[in-house]
Amino acid sequence: MSTPPQGRAREKERAGLAEEAFLTVHRVSKSFEGVHALIDVSFQVKAGQIKALIGPNGAGKTTLLNVINGLLPPDEGRVALRGRELAGMKTEQIAALGVSRTFQLLRLFTVNDATVLDNVLLGAHKRINPTILGTLFLPGRSRHRERVMREKAMEALSFVGMNWAADRLPTALSFGNQRLVELARSLMSEPELLLLDEPASGLNDAEVEEFLQLLLAVRARGITILLVQHNMNLVMRLCDDIVVLDFGKWLAEGDPAAICANPAVIEAYLGAAGGGGSC
Amino acid sequence: MKLINRFWWMLVLVFIALYPPTIGGMSPYRSGLLIFVGIYVILAVSLDLLMGFAGQISVGHAAFFAIGAYVSGILTAKYGAPPAPAMMAGMALSAAVAWGVGRPVLALKEYYLAMATLALNEIVVTLIVGLQRLTGGASGLRDVPSFSVFGFSFDSQIRYYYLVWAIVVLVVASSLLLTRSPFGRTLIAIHSDETAAKTFGIDCAGYKIRVYVLSAVFASIAGSLFAHYMGFLAPDDFSVMTSINVLVMLYLGGIGTIYGPALGALFLKLLPEITVRLQDYEMLMNGAILILILVFMPKGLFGILTEIRSRLVARGSR
Repeated sequence: MSTPPQGRAREKERAGLAEEAFLTVHRVSKSFEGVHALIDVSFQVKAGQIKALIGPNGAGKTTLLNVINGLLPPDEGRVALRGRELAGMKTEQIAALGVSRTFQLLRLFTVNDATVLDNVLLGAHKRINPTILGTLFLPGRSRHRERVMREKAMEALSFVGMNWAADRLPTALSFGNQRLVELARSLMSEPELLLLDEPASGLNDAEVEEFLQLLLAVRARGITILLVQHNMNLVMRLCDDIVVLDFGKWLAEGDPAAICANPAVIEAYLGAAGGGGSC
Repeated sequence: MKLINRFWWMLVLVFIALYPPTIGGMSPYRSGLLIFVGIYVILAVSLDLLMGFAGQISVGHAAFFAIGAYVSGILTAKYGAPPAPAMMAGMALSAAVAWGVGRPVLALKEYYLAMATLALNEIVVTLIVGLQRLTGGASGLRDVPSFSVFGFSFDSQIRYYYLVWAIVVLVVASSLLLTRSPFGRTLIAIHSDETAAKTFGIDCAGYKIRVYVLSAVFASIAGSLFAHYMGFLAPDDFSVMTSINVLVMLYLGGIGTIYGPALGALFLKLLPEITVRLQDYEMLMNGAILILILVFMPKGLFGILTEIRSRLVARGSR
């Protein structure tokens, strides 16, 4: 990485932007009709790492993901991706910068008998960007591109082990399998940052294990991951770094061992959740 | 073979389009009826793009049917303009209205969107009645000439039949091409879950407005064809009742399938002819059909047809 001039570096430092930061959340606050969901939250995610966002129910974890990908505007503070300000951008614009996400309660496309393959193909929307005129007057070109995309979509499905379900309806699949399809759809968008909201909830132990291996393989592709997760066992084994929220406030940050040993975290979260054993 | 399989129902439409010479002529009464059917097929298919695929409710689609009809009618009957450019002017005005109205209105959802589209229909009808000098008002617009292009006049019933059904085939074919492409897939994503669609970079507002404009342009074409066939326009033909009639066609035939609404238009326009005595009860019949379809066969007539066909194919291959 090239070193920027001294002055600029200091200016960045002051703005809370350390140089190696891939994603920066800086002093973000958000409230809903007087309820403070996020209060002055700051942390960073380094490129190529898996970072977990943990905390008790109502700590503001999902709200934070929604702020990062533009579904909710922050009341105060900033979010930056590779130094680029995301505030004021629409969700679809942030998606175009390489941010993709999955949802706690699945959000697969199911209308008009859309198949699993259709869902995964929709992940590549930015690259396909279909238009009325292009579809009607350049059918050859769009058909060729569609063939290429189908191959890629099948690769993404194979990666998560769901290629057998390409022509099925998402609703006909088990919850765990639908999660895998959501992951394949997100990977199809070739993201740089993957936001995962409770990716292991609703999965059985074997499925959690499978998912963990998958996420390690995703990281190996160079994709940075920020995940919200309740399953502490998974978090401890998977993540490089953890940030803890409590009632909308930053409580602690550090590697798994440090978080396990942090008295404040144990009192606020780990002890109460009975998760002490998984540390 | 695969192509035939995919476009099987298209062959049925092409057959209807070529019907008169293949059978050796049909009575003027019947071909007149099928001209009406064709016009309503265009209208129903245009609404299916918007409602069945993009998932945006419109209870006022007759507004664009009216704009097409009256722009064609006024320009040709009052100003002696040639019909083809007049039709294009109607398409342009419909597109402009759809674009202007769509920006704010398509941000609404469900009941609110239904009410707003209904209001648009009412506004257009009120304008037609009010602008008496231009539109003839409640007493109607007379003497709309027959359609012609480059000096070739579609003045006989059989010629007009071919014109209308050629356009039907074009509209249905392009709608199929659109809905079975990545474009249609994108509309389905918006219909299914706008929030999730946005996180994959889909510009929901932009796609909704584009499909609304396209839908309005198709409806406008149907309106122009209607004007030149009737030769006389009255506001009653474009009321909210007409919009609801088209809605019933969608649900009767099977919404979100393109072919289904076409079938629904055929069925709903032919039914009163078969049971002439029921004609006075058209509104009652529409309501009854809508309720029965929604409760007992949500996939509509086309759903039943594809079911029968896939069973026959399965049996044949065994």
